[in-house]
Amino acid sequence: MRREITKKTLHQWDATLPAGLPERLKLRQSRRDFLKLASVVPATMLLSACGGSNSSAAQAQVAVLDQSPWQTFSAVQNHLFPKGADSPGADDINATLYLKSVLALPGIDDSDKKFIRDGVKWINDIASQMFAKPFHQLDKDNKEAVLQRIATSSAGENWLSLLLLYIFEALLTDPVYGGNTNKIGWQWLEHQPGFPGPPKDKRYYLLT
Amino acid sequence: MKDIDVCIIGSGAGGGPVALTLAEAGYSVLVLEKGPWLTEDDFFKDELACCRRSVYTPNLKDERHVLEEYNGQNDDGSYKWRSEASSDSGSDFWNGNCVGGSSNFMSGYFYRLKPKDFHLRSEFGEIKGANVVDWPIDYAAMEPYYTKAEHVVGISGKIIPHPHQEPRSTADFPYPPTAEHAVSGLIDKACRELKMHPLPTPRAILSRPEDERSSCEYSGFCGSYGCSSGAKGSARAALLNKAIKTGNCTILPHAKVYHITSDQSGRVSAAEYYDKDGAKKSITAKIFVVACQAIETSRLLLASTGPKHPDGLANNSGQVGKNLLFSAGGSGTGEFTYTQFDTQLAEAMKQRGPFVNRGLQDWYFINDKAFGAPAKGGVIDFLFRHPNAISKANGEKWDDDGKLLWGQPLKKRLKSVFSETKYLRFEVFNDWLPTDDCFVSLDNAVKDKWGSPVAKIRLGYHDHDLKVGRYLAEKSEQVLKQMNARNIRSSVSGAPPPNLVAGGCRFGDDPATSVLNADCQAHDAENLYVTDGSFMPTGGSVPYTWTIYANAFRVADIIKKRL
Repeated sequence: MRREITKKTLHQWDATLPAGLPERLKLRQSRRDFLKLASVVPATMLLSACGGSNSSAAQAQVAVLDQSPWQTFSAVQNHLFPKGADSPGADDINATLYLKSVLALPGIDDSDKKFIRDGVKWINDIASQMFAKPFHQLDKDNKEAVLQRIATSSAGENWLSLLLLYIFEALLTDPVYGGNTNKIGWQWLEHQPGFPGPPKDKRYYLLT
Repeated sequence: MKDIDVCIIGSGAGGGPVALTLAEAGYSVLVLEKGPWLTEDDFFKDELACCRRSVYTPNLKDERHVLEEYNGQNDDGSYKWRSEASSDSGSDFWNGNCVGGSSNFMSGYFYRLKPKDFHLRSEFGEIKGANVVDWPIDYAAMEPYYTKAEHVVGISGKIIPHPHQEPRSTADFPYPPTAEHAVSGLIDKACRELKMHPLPTPRAILSRPEDERSSCEYSGFCGSYGCSSGAKGSARAALLNKAIKTGNCTILPHAKVYHITSDQSGRVSAAEYYDKDGAKKSITAKIFVVACQAIETSRLLLASTGPKHPDGLANNSGQVGKNLLFSAGGSGTGEFTYTQFDTQLAEAMKQRGPFVNRGLQDWYFINDKAFGAPAKGGVIDFLFRHPNAISKANGEKWDDDGKLLWGQPLKKRLKSVFSETKYLRFEVFNDWLPTDDCFVSLDNAVKDKWGSPVAKIRLGYHDHDLKVGRYLAEKSEQVLKQMNARNIRSSVSGAPPPNLVAGGCRFGDDPATSVLNADCQAHDAENLYVTDGSFMPTGGSVPYTWTIYANAFRVADIIKKRL
């Protein structure tokens, strides 16, 4: 088996597909875009807070959401991965609690975790700018508009892509990690998992 | 008085055969392994553990490599190189740091080299820009040890007559082939229609129980995963467990060797290491064997300066780290929709577990005017797409224009990829020509968590590698086409597969141009041997592990004679 160079840090996750050097360079570039964007986010927040007609309301909402990022994560996850007539959605695979455990466990870079957490402020800032409401209070069309907007920046696309990655983990990893409730993800995609699966006391962070 | 007879640094495919041979002969052996000691009780089919978190490999922040990649040319035509730490780029060059090393995580796809691989320079002449040389030994010297590995490691397969079959001292493999998938018959049919010679792929995987090792359980999750049954012929399961039973072999996990000390005469006197708690320890021995996998072996020797080794141990002619090899080639894919088969075949195609086990060696040597002068070619291996589900899903989140997908369009795509489509892949393996642009040195500015300089790896390749790879990829695509696969595509590039690495301490008769002699003993330090893939001056066009096992058994016999 030829192992391709694996990408384990944030800005390289996406390079696993499609492969090839130009793609990798593009994603490195996007990391730099994010760094630039991250430095201007507080300024944008300030602008919207001071300049808009709903400035004080927006400021208050952002503050609350800072303390409670999970309703935002849940809203984004359910929009990215909605329940279908015969397919599970983010809630069915316990995606939000799964993400919470990812952010609490070892194995992911602290900078990546921070990027995921910081995205909550950012997406709510954009939602407030566009619709004067935090993301989770928007209707489906407005949620879509916000996600489409942030996906136009490399950093925003990177963030959404990371949330999708952890949705896929919640969908397809062994249920011992808290997602894939009752193997619903495997059943939906007719995926035959390997055996034996990991018991509780042999989850990856307990091995070494 | 020495602490022990033999100290082996590294417990993988290069260290295991030496430990077993010498422990069985009654000598005291200590194996120092940087990583933890995991066993069948720790290996599960857990995609997070195997492939998405750093469990079997170090955190790149603690232990990184610095990679130098080609970055265009200067005005005078010389190459420019861009240097980046693997912790920044995410390009992980670790392959398995635990007892048994990366042999725990191989897919056990095993081929011998062929007699001509031992003297490519004489056979095919010089290639400009490449440092191709003949080996100081021939195939006949290695053959008994290839056979030994078949029995001791446990290699399954079946010999069928073939134009490129290498000579064997035994009629067939000691273990019958592992169970095969329905697609293998389809590959055979297509290849025969194309007048090609499909071969059963030998595997270092037991097809029946042996001793305390179980037969393969055909979970279908093999490469990248530790084996839960003991069937995979890792150095740990097949060799070290037996070595320990002799009572003469001790394995010390979490022992990171950072320096090999040599005396005024140039002989090695001690291995210095950090234990689990970070305390400095030292061990003396009569003989030292280094087998840390190619990159780390060169790094350790370069870091091990001494009174007679001012530029690093065994490096008096500046050859340590030079002529690093990967495996050239690439891979490709074709797709089948289950609906294109009748019901019975569709069900068989959905089956997970049995191996595809088919390869082509028809162009191991290329004799085709369309290609050019006769040349060394390579092998083609057929396999299914890796069954890892998360990475498969993650690969589907971009549409054909590179735009991120979500919502129902994404879910529709996932459903199709997972439950309607079977992906048959091929991999091409050809020689990674040794050049002056692929080597290991020390980066004195970047340190690991113990404060030692890390390995800097220059990743240049020779354009000839791509020419051969593309030739083989085209042949592979013909097979997929003949099978009526759709969306056939392939990719051949100079990107090195980090798990297929050798060279850096080539063996040879001339101390001025090689690090080791024909016995894999350092020219400059008579009680030092290197038994991982570092010794190879040219790589051959098959995965390295069987040759590493065979050569390590060969060198172990040489050491046994002198002890």
